[in-house]
Amino acid sequence: MNGKAKQLIDAIIAQRSGGNPTLMITTRTKIMLKGVNPERFLASTPDDPVIIDKLRRIGQELGVQIY
Amino acid sequence: MKCATSLVPTAEAAVADIRAQIGPVDGKWVIFFASSAYDPQAVSAAMKRAFPTALTCGCTTAGEIALGHMTKHSLVAMVVGDDLLDAVAIEVVTGISTRIDLSEAFAAFEKRFGEPAAKWPHDRYVGLVLIDGLSKAEERINDAIGNITDVSFIGGSAGDDLAFQATHVFADGQSYGDAAVLVLLKTRHGFGTIKTQSFKPTKRVLVATRVDEAAREVLEFDGRPAAQVYAEAVGAVDGDIAPFFQNHPVGLMLGNEPYVRSPQQRKGDAIAFYCNIAAGMELTILEGTSIIDDTRADIAKAKTDLGGIAGMINFNCILRTLELEQRGLTEDYGALFADIPTVGFSTYGESLIGHVNQTATILAFKNA
Repeated sequence: MNGKAKQLIDAIIAQRSGGNPTLMITTRTKIMLKGVNPERFLASTPDDPVIIDKLRRIGQELGVQIY
Repeated sequence: MKCATSLVPTAEAAVADIRAQIGPVDGKWVIFFASSAYDPQAVSAAMKRAFPTALTCGCTTAGEIALGHMTKHSLVAMVVGDDLLDAVAIEVVTGISTRIDLSEAFAAFEKRFGEPAAKWPHDRYVGLVLIDGLSKAEERINDAIGNITDVSFIGGSAGDDLAFQATHVFADGQSYGDAAVLVLLKTRHGFGTIKTQSFKPTKRVLVATRVDEAAREVLEFDGRPAAQVYAEAVGAVDGDIAPFFQNHPVGLMLGNEPYVRSPQQRKGDAIAFYCNIAAGMELTILEGTSIIDDTRADIAKAKTDLGGIAGMINFNCILRTLELEQRGLTEDYGALFADIPTVGFSTYGESLIGHVNQTATILAFKNA
């Protein structure tokens, strides 16, 4: 399967920012500083369980619900 | 808003000099930066006695900035009043080298401001964070702050004039080690933040494949000894990489924006950094540009964006200060801040969303 990481990243950014453009940038930066660069993941990126686990942890830390 | 600098060498007398320069203004909040040449407890207590009705905070430094000049072994202060601030609160978090728990500090802020952190308007509220510069806790503190709130917290790590023995943060007349001071400001007219670093990305990207995060060391880049891979990337033909550190740190890139991680020293085949680097992080080798030109441009942009700046607090990396000193540019750098009331200091690390190196993070208060 492909694209799960991008899906999770988009969900974290959307929920945490509430669509506010400034907070979207802030949240992208927070995700990068936590160890996952949002720019490296596309819809075609093969799923990597290590990255997906890391993103679930990041979502939890940022207080958002992701599936 | 008023700023002052004192070069008087004893704490009590320097504070008296600052008080005299400020004049009969008490202000709502006083932020000050003191050389480690001063006794830390004496200077913090004296500042509180000098401004008894204001909340006071600050830290020790590796050099100071105010009134258009970079100085050494001085005390600088900024007094901010009702004209720019609706409210201010200060909290201290101790024992940060072993455990970060910000829950009490943020509960106190929520009580003081009457709103949960999640509802603080991020265009009116701004935080400051001053951290013991030898605690190696900056990443964890910034991360914990960012988990709790989307309000920007900007700041720096306390210095000790390059002695690397003990750094201190100050709050309400006390001096603390192994601690961070958190400040929450409700601004009257809004604010802006500036993050300026003088580097451009090269095409060479290294992946940290083996690290010791707690020690801030990268053991391997691209599956090979870190020092060897870095040497190849920067063209250090004889393997002597230290001379390349200043002009070629590495950066986490988000678009064209680098979040700089500066090499500190070679440790055998490993490289120690001033920031921790997680396994799997992709790091671009950076190349230095002009600190003066870049900072001038970023301040000018902030002035335009904000429609005028009433005052600034500048957290300027000690590595930038050392480069400015080597190039004889400290007066030129100070002059960039001559027309706007500014205080700041040379830091052991800078904060804005996260912990960065070789950067200046600047809080700019918007004009009325």
